[in-house]
Amino acid sequence: MFIEVRQIQKSFGQGDSRIEVLHGIDLNIEKGEFCVLLGPSGSGKSTLLNILGGIDSADSGSICINGERMADMNEKRLTAYRRRHLGYIFQMYNLIPNLTVRENIEVGAYLSQDALDVDELLHTLGLHEHQRKLPNQLSGGQQQRTAIGRAIVKNPDILLCDEPTGALDYQTSKEILKLIETVNQKYGNTVIMVTHNDAIRLMADRVVRLRDGRIRSDEPNTHKLSAEELEW
Amino acid sequence: MVKKQKQKSPLRRRVLRELRDEFGKYLVIFILLTLTISMVSGFLVAAGSMIQAYDESFEIYNIEDGHFTTAKQLSRAQRKAVQQLGISVYDLNYVEQPLENSRTMRIFAPRTEVDRVCLMQGGMPTEADEIAVDRMYADNNGLVIGDSLTSADGAMTWRITGLVALSDYSALFQDNNDSMFDSVQFGVAIVTPEGFDALGTDHLNWCYAWKYDTPVEDETEEKDRSEDLMKAMIDEVKLESFVPQYQNQAIHFTGDDMGGDRAMMAALLYIVIAIMAFVFGITINNTIAKESSVIGTLRASGYTKGELVRHYMAAPVLVTLISALIGNIAGYTVLKNVCANIYYGSYSLTTYKTIWNAQAFLLTTVVPIILMMLITFLVLWRKLSLSPLKFLRRDLSRNRSRRAVHLREKTPFFRRFRLRVIFQNAGSYVVLAIGILFANLLLMFGLAFPPVLDHYQAELSGNLLADYQYMLQVPLELTREDHKLENLIAALRFRSAVETEDPDAEKFSAYSLRTLGEEYPAEDILLYGVEPDSKYVSIEPGKVNISKAYADKYGIGAGDTITLKEEYEDTSYSFPVDSVYDYEGGLCVFMDRDSLNDAFELGTDYFCGYFSASEITDIDEQYIGSVVDLDALTKISRQLNVSMGSMMVLVDGFAVLIFVVLIYLLSKLTIEKNAQSISMAKILGYSDGEIGRLYILPTSIVVVVLLLLSLPIESWIMVFLFRAVMLQMMSGWIPLWIDPAIYWKMIALGVGSYAVVALLEVRRIKRVPMDEALKNVE
Repeated sequence: MFIEVRQIQKSFGQGDSRIEVLHGIDLNIEKGEFCVLLGPSGSGKSTLLNILGGIDSADSGSICINGERMADMNEKRLTAYRRRHLGYIFQMYNLIPNLTVRENIEVGAYLSQDALDVDELLHTLGLHEHQRKLPNQLSGGQQQRTAIGRAIVKNPDILLCDEPTGALDYQTSKEILKLIETVNQKYGNTVIMVTHNDAIRLMADRVVRLRDGRIRSDEPNTHKLSAEELEW
Repeated sequence: MVKKQKQKSPLRRRVLRELRDEFGKYLVIFILLTLTISMVSGFLVAAGSMIQAYDESFEIYNIEDGHFTTAKQLSRAQRKAVQQLGISVYDLNYVEQPLENSRTMRIFAPRTEVDRVCLMQGGMPTEADEIAVDRMYADNNGLVIGDSLTSADGAMTWRITGLVALSDYSALFQDNNDSMFDSVQFGVAIVTPEGFDALGTDHLNWCYAWKYDTPVEDETEEKDRSEDLMKAMIDEVKLESFVPQYQNQAIHFTGDDMGGDRAMMAALLYIVIAIMAFVFGITINNTIAKESSVIGTLRASGYTKGELVRHYMAAPVLVTLISALIGNIAGYTVLKNVCANIYYGSYSLTTYKTIWNAQAFLLTTVVPIILMMLITFLVLWRKLSLSPLKFLRRDLSRNRSRRAVHLREKTPFFRRFRLRVIFQNAGSYVVLAIGILFANLLLMFGLAFPPVLDHYQAELSGNLLADYQYMLQVPLELTREDHKLENLIAALRFRSAVETEDPDAEKFSAYSLRTLGEEYPAEDILLYGVEPDSKYVSIEPGKVNISKAYADKYGIGAGDTITLKEEYEDTSYSFPVDSVYDYEGGLCVFMDRDSLNDAFELGTDYFCGYFSASEITDIDEQYIGSVVDLDALTKISRQLNVSMGSMMVLVDGFAVLIFVVLIYLLSKLTIEKNAQSISMAKILGYSDGEIGRLYILPTSIVVVVLLLLSLPIESWIMVFLFRAVMLQMMSGWIPLWIDPAIYWKMIALGVGSYAVVALLEVRRIKRVPMDEALKNVE
């Protein structure tokens, strides 16, 4: 198994204000799989994603990625792990305002010895003609495409997407989802996407539903649709 | 997939853009750093070069080993006899010429062998009615080449052909016994041999410089040799004065005084650098807050802390490097000249050659860059230790449990809002407080200095021991130990010659000792032995009093014991202090004459001067060494005013600049930090004026409060600093007096400077776009 999550527990706060966010999560994800973590606000899906991304830590339990135990990693190794294996896409694009589209993507490319060709990627992302623009000259969708470019240019094993369409309109959201789908198919990255949009589950290989910090269901999607076919 | 070669971080492209986007911020930092570095570098380079030039001038201009004056011209036989004492003797005759503007010009014939002349500007005189005058005297009296000098009697006029520096008059001491030189009232000049002959012999002083045939090794040897020489010389000629080089203030005062202020300049540099580093720290904090989500994303993507630290260090370090480079260039070119002119304003120095100063480079460039890098590194390292998630959530506080300060709801909304802004920016205000304190301290120093001198002069006029204080000049032949009979006769002659009929005159004896110089540089203390029932200094018989100046400078009080020593001997003397005598005019000790004469075995009848309420006219001038009157005592403050006045204007300007820069930067940061809230307030319908009241007024209130609070602290520090400067760098004592008007001036300058910044900030608020509030809000 590529990603093995065992009995992950996480709480925030102390004493009376302590909130259990994850109550012993178990999860397996195959390499190259498109996995959607679905759930309402507060269900713990983003927290789980952050723990998988090594930017948050679990109180107990273990995560094994490609045979490496995250619990054994110190700060430096965690950074190296993220650098080598992970690409992050957030709801907010978090682009560097004074770098152009191309340069923002190069920020990701710099991290990898095995980076994708930036020009090719710009074409794939539909950003080639905008490559010299600064983020504030772009629409929300273009900004998110740039953020996706930044995440995937380093050719990560795992692409972590936290509500990537949360701030976008329907049409743009579909474009972004198509892009992620293309990336998953073209480059074979494992995609873990957090969303509260139920329709998105239809394009996943696997759907994990969370509620109140527990996995309510974990099922393969046998009737997978393309992003183009999604409606909500 | 294409295999890529390792490339340079694309983040580096941001550095120049960051500098361009934050041009205003980096510009003021650049200006302040460049100015500081150039000023200090210029000062150190000028000081180093001039000290070297001064040191080298001894050889280049063949400065005398000493000089003596005689009542009559040396005969050939006398000259030969004197030269057989192991010295070469050179004519250095001069005429003390009163001028029509009531100044005095000491005029020399051309010097070709010793104490040669450095021509600073123009040419040497070639005609009998031409003159080359001392450059500093000319500056202080507004004289330029082509102007004329006229003698007091109007009989002679000279045209100035050149400005010169006489190597043996780098400090224009008219009399070696003077406590300070006076380059306004007294000058030196060179005329042609014909011009010198035309001066006649009425005012001619027979002065002879000497050089030892074998050079002396050190000051102790110089002292021994000069003492031996004097004793031997007395057998050959009748000396009026005998001044070995090491005692010649006109030669040595400059060297002793120069360089003392280097430490002060270096301290100034480091304070500014520390403040700038603080500012960088705050600026970086602000940038990190602004870029929080970007940093979070980069960290989440795998950028290491080190990579981001290096990235965020780049801009400040680059600014520091450019400032250091330009500062050094400016220091070596423009500022060096400005600082050299300050020295030229104080001393009549010869020309100098700029020399590379490794110490200046180290102090102004290497150390500041390292310091700046270290401080920014520490701030960044600490800040970037937060987890990527915290950055993504824009939660950069380490202390989770920090709660909102409770404000009473009855408090008007605007006031509560302003208080919140103040609480939010407390960190910035702490830096602002330090900056205001420092800038105001500088300002206070600059503003207080001239009034301190004026006050000192005014105080002295009401605080003299006597209107006239005559120090007698004991004929040199009395110091001969062998010819006892001749000595006795000379002593009797001297004693009768220095008796006066003046009813106001009162004898005193005096003896000069030095402080031990353990903690601070040693300086002369004059011990007075006064009559038991003195009209001028009233002390109890058998008691030892010290002057208030002495007590204040060294922090000595009644009950303490002072220990002083002979200058060139190991003998030291201790005196218990009974009380402090209210006298500011000098560092002195008062006791009754018998006690003093006893203590130093001077003989019961010994006295060496008179206090008098009126001018004593019946003592031959040749027996009067010096007259200490108000004019003599205030020479020091007059000279300081001349030499330091221009420096103080620089200090004031610099202080205002630091003040403006700090307030500008910190208030800019406050507004930047609140850009989103300001934008939101605009969307809600608040006017620019109202937003100004919410975001600028709190800083205004803080500035005014800090300005007011800082004043007493600054006065306290000033007292401490002033004393430290006096102890380290100056002989004598000038009491610190802070003119109350200075406080008003400081407040006015502070508020005025702030008003300029506030106007800029109002403009900035107007420019905050409304869509700022809609960007990047999760």
